[in-house]
Amino acid sequence: MNCEKYQDLLSDFIDGSLTSENQNQVDTHLHECETCAEARNDLNAIVVFCREQRGQYEPMPNERALWLRISNMIAAAAPARSQAEVPAEAGWWFRLMNRRWHLSFPQLATSAAALVMVVSLVAVLGSRRLGSGSVAQTEGLTLVSSGASLKDRYRAQQQIIDYWNQRVELNKTRWSPQVRETFERNMSVIDAAVNDSMNRLSENPHDGVSEDILNAALNDKVELLKEFAEL
Amino acid sequence: MNIYPPATVTQISKTPALVTLLVLILTGTVFGQQRVSRNFPAGKNVRLELKNLSGTITVETWQRDEIKITALMEAPAVHFNPRQTDTGLVIDIVGDNRGRGEVGDVNFKIQVPARSSVDLETRRGQIAVSNVQGDLVRAHVWTSGDIQLSGVNAARVFASNTMGDIYFDGEFASGGTYEFKSGQGTITLRLPASCGFRLVATAPAKKISMGQFWHEGMKLQGEGRRIIGDIGDGRASVTVTTYQGNINFLRR
Repeated sequence: MNCEKYQDLLSDFIDGSLTSENQNQVDTHLHECETCAEARNDLNAIVVFCREQRGQYEPMPNERALWLRISNMIAAAAPARSQAEVPAEAGWWFRLMNRRWHLSFPQLATSAAALVMVVSLVAVLGSRRLGSGSVAQTEGLTLVSSGASLKDRYRAQQQIIDYWNQRVELNKTRWSPQVRETFERNMSVIDAAVNDSMNRLSENPHDGVSEDILNAALNDKVELLKEFAEL
Repeated sequence: MNIYPPATVTQISKTPALVTLLVLILTGTVFGQQRVSRNFPAGKNVRLELKNLSGTITVETWQRDEIKITALMEAPAVHFNPRQTDTGLVIDIVGDNRGRGEVGDVNFKIQVPARSSVDLETRRGQIAVSNVQGDLVRAHVWTSGDIQLSGVNAARVFASNTMGDIYFDGEFASGGTYEFKSGQGTITLRLPASCGFRLVATAPAKKISMGQFWHEGMKLQGEGRRIIGDIGDGRASVTVTTYQGNINFLRR
């Protein structure tokens, strides 16, 4: 598989919806390929941002019904495609680019409205990034240096950590005391790195070294939780 | 007259049992250990992928175009299904045993051709790789376990753990990528004087000792918690990070 193929799978990888074999393949590749790791980090940052900002927009009346209607209209308008045209292993990007779009005016209008929403969201995200002046590219994820406060950034990562933590807690009861002890001890090492970095950053918010360590440690924590969530 | 005291008679009858016990101990069966050894044909540039749950992994090189896997498995023994692929051999103990609950440690000893790439991972346990000179050497311990890479000369090397030391004794290829990362361990890199690389070394809690590789052109950041600079031609990219340990550079 080449990088393009791996990047097609990134969205599903972040959602955790790949098969375990593909999940492992992508994970291994991300350890080896800096470009794809950066793409993953960017995508991850967008996902986190969207989750974070969800509450700031007025929800549309009966949002779910609207989306269902849009997808139904598109599905109804599109000619029936044979499965053979799209390879089984094709990624979302391939499927999107190879889809035929035949839209009526109402469909077009609704789609345009949806597109405007997406563009607005991206514009907000982009302006925040540009407005911040510099973007700290770290081992873990790309974080805006000054656009978002330390607490905001920590909170965003914490949401992901909380999700995986819940899954780990569900499984923990099945672990042997030895596994539990090993996990706790190693997690405390990462937590110590997170806390040290947070303390240093609260004293000096422009401490680049601590920022990098914080990002790396938070990422390590997520990865460790993910690994042990499967146990 | 009975010339044998009762105690002696009892001892004689116990002898076969003791012999059996000794045999069991020697074969390891008494502890529920199981030893599996298999050979797989391989080309010179083969790739070995191993994802272990718990236990040590030792990889050595040999002259044959084969991979030899020797696994010592503790009870309850894992399901062990090596798969040959177009590029090499995949052993996924994690995947093969998903949903089985607790399984025993597996200690691997693996012999590969020198030009092999190895991608090794375990949740707990030491990893030792020696004399591998393929494209990739990756050793990742999710939690506790030392990593020792000796005589390694690969274009890409990644070694990481949370608790445990990392030791690298090898060479950096021009244009290669090398990353060493530990949560709490000390990272030691032993390199030839001729080594050329661009370094980013970060140790926020302890110290970075550059030894004879130090020169005035290197930059210190964050009160010496990070050192950045080129050594020699600077063509290899080296990143070393430890959250709570030391970083040491030794010259061969």
